Amino acid sequence: MMTRKTRSTTLVAVGLGIALAATGCAGGGETDGDGSSGGKVSLTVWENASPGPGEEFWKSAVQEYMAENPKVSIKLQTVQNEDFDGKLQTALNSNSAPDIFLQRGGGKLRAMVEAGQLQELPFTEEDKKNAGAAVAGATVDGKIYTVPLSTQPEGIYYSKELFEKAGIKSTPTTMDELEDAIAKLKKIGVAPIAVGAKDAWPAAHWYYNFALRHCSQDAMSKAAADLKFDDPCWKKAGEDLQKFLRIEPFQKGYLTTPAQQGAGSSAGMLANHKAGMELMGNWNPGVIAGLTPDKKPLPDLGWFPFPAVDGGQGDPSAMMGGSDGYSVAKSAPKEAFEFLQWLSTKEQQEKYAKGFNTIPVNKEAQGVVTDPYNVSALEAFNKAAYTVMFLDTEYGQNVGNAMNTAVVNLMAGKGTPEDIVKNTNAAAAKG
Amino acid sequence: MSDTLGTDTAPGRQSQGTPGAGDAGRSASPAPPRAAGRRRSGRARMRLEIAILSGPAILVFLAFVIFPVVLAAYYGFYRWKGYGDPTDWVGLDNYKLILTDPAFHEVLTHNLLIVVLSLVVQGPLAVGLALLLNQKIRGRSVIRILIFVPYVISEIIVGTGWGLLLQSNGAVNDLLGKLGLESWQHDWLSDPDLALWTLMAIITWKYIGFAVILMLAGLQSIPDELFEAAEIDGASYWQIQRRITLPLLGPTIRIWGFLSIIGSLQLFDLVFIIWGPYIAGTAGTSTMAIYMVAEGRNAANFGYGSAIAVVMFVISMFVALLYQRFVLRRDLQGAVTDGGSR
Repeated sequence: MMTRKTRSTTLVAVGLGIALAATGCAGGGETDGDGSSGGKVSLTVWENASPGPGEEFWKSAVQEYMAENPKVSIKLQTVQNEDFDGKLQTALNSNSAPDIFLQRGGGKLRAMVEAGQLQELPFTEEDKKNAGAAVAGATVDGKIYTVPLSTQPEGIYYSKELFEKAGIKSTPTTMDELEDAIAKLKKIGVAPIAVGAKDAWPAAHWYYNFALRHCSQDAMSKAAADLKFDDPCWKKAGEDLQKFLRIEPFQKGYLTTPAQQGAGSSAGMLANHKAGMELMGNWNPGVIAGLTPDKKPLPDLGWFPFPAVDGGQGDPSAMMGGSDGYSVAKSAPKEAFEFLQWLSTKEQQEKYAKGFNTIPVNKEAQGVVTDPYNVSALEAFNKAAYTVMFLDTEYGQNVGNAMNTAVVNLMAGKGTPEDIVKNTNAAAAKG
Repeated sequence: MSDTLGTDTAPGRQSQGTPGAGDAGRSASPAPPRAAGRRRSGRARMRLEIAILSGPAILVFLAFVIFPVVLAAYYGFYRWKGYGDPTDWVGLDNYKLILTDPAFHEVLTHNLLIVVLSLVVQGPLAVGLALLLNQKIRGRSVIRILIFVPYVISEIIVGTGWGLLLQSNGAVNDLLGKLGLESWQHDWLSDPDLALWTLMAIITWKYIGFAVILMLAGLQSIPDELFEAAEIDGASYWQIQRRITLPLLGPTIRIWGFLSIIGSLQLFDLVFIIWGPYIAGTAGTSTMAIYMVAEGRNAANFGYGSAIAVVMFVISMFVALLYQRFVLRRDLQGAVTDGGSR
């Protein structure tokens, strides 16, 4: 869904066009057999990497694979993140889908499966081991449709320097400690927490995490099945958020702040030490790195999990998160899945993790994670009793969208915790 | 073409202005068939010409306007996630949901408010500015350009620019603070009580230039003799404006009103850029088009979204027809009723 936005520089990517040059040369000279026996099998891959190391990873991985498998020719196409879903949808519906493409998961995955547009993937035991815990999110009705590559646990990113300046000794583990930290950050004249409510989902993630703490795992998966949000925990989460708002934890004018575009965005505020914290998935360090004055990663970036709340039914170690994976179109040749299998091996996963500054799903490859914020996130992730996908992905765009809007309304003082439940329940009728 | 000649129009055209010539033509039987035959082939040629010249435009119109409208109407009857073909027929359910959704009532109110405010604020302002700029004053063309510039700037730039200026910690509030007017500082964009007025101010700033240019063109077309005659008769400046300029500017004002109404009903870009589809509803600036994007595309309810598009289409068409029927009737009389042969 819209949860994984890329930085504004991706606008440039549109202008730069599609990076085919490098891969195109490798197949030069030979003619395309278009899957016929003896000839070459050609595959198309659509991914959404921003220009930089992520895109480089794809280019070199494709070249390496083609060198190892001379019969396969792979055409790589980078699609700008915000344009990705619309283009993919058009391609899928007009039977011109790429063989391999980025899969957002959740409700979208289910819709594609129900429309018969995806191949069920014959995972071996080895593949399952490589994918680890992420395989659950790749499965619909017991069948696997996605090869997961990275996991995106969510937590609070913070500036160690500002925390030190404000005299915050250790990272908050309870809401009381968080509120204390907020008061201290206010005293040194920075916004305690940045939130990009203009995009709705970053604001809604606060609600998701309160819900994660308040709702039991059962209540959450029950809601995923029947899309009814009647458990009292859903309202409780809204009430907690409302209570939290009273201490004014967010920056001024957060309602019109975007999440990732420019120095005034919430990520930009953290990058420029104008805000102390931001709740985000683990793509955030990459976004922040693009918004610092020198366009380098923020050196003092730290991470801690969402604090515990009083009287919650959820496991305090549970985590919210997403996952990046790739699906194979119905009509694709079997070589498509083989390429993805190869991508989920240890060596490629290590390169992927480095390229995207992220946490690979393959446990054997997780040794390459060295950035302090990723190490903290990985520790918490491996300790988590369970993980829940971002609710707007988990419950599908329709319900997710209504939930996000209702949360923003609450934050603007235009709605109540009851409205979140009411609007979310009502949305299920529209789609 | 004259009606008196009935169906026999072809010879009629030739004989117009000679009373009784039609009868003569009809009685002189040998001549007309040949002439009529030639004329018939001439007509066929003309039809062919029309077909060739307008064909491509009609094809494009059918393919990219009418066909999508029909498709939207078709999808509007389905509950459809946009993957694969729609299969879940729900009849009029989508329309019932739209018409009973309080959020839709809200966006419709916003649209109507924008329609009314645009007419009431921009109309008089544009006429006033046009009258002013029609005077021979120093730097007239510079002022004209300055007023017209916002209209030429793309919506993206206008939206981004104003969005940044009016942020809570943006330049406008900063300036007010420096001037010692702290009490005038507001959350221009995010305060739900203010946001719609902010939007109206930006819309007025953006589109006033277009209205002024239209009015100026209208003023140019009023013959100077009328003003001279009135002056000689001793009419004052204001009398001249009230009795001569405004009535003769009527057609221009009415056409501008039409464009303004349609534009207001379909307002999308500025709101989308400044507020985005997620918080426009919260800030109280969302319009029907924003509602369509939020509930259709962003929520991936493509069936529901299509139904919203159809509702918007019907509302716009209804208003347009009503306006044409009652307001533009006099202006369109010639154009519609007799093929513009006057």
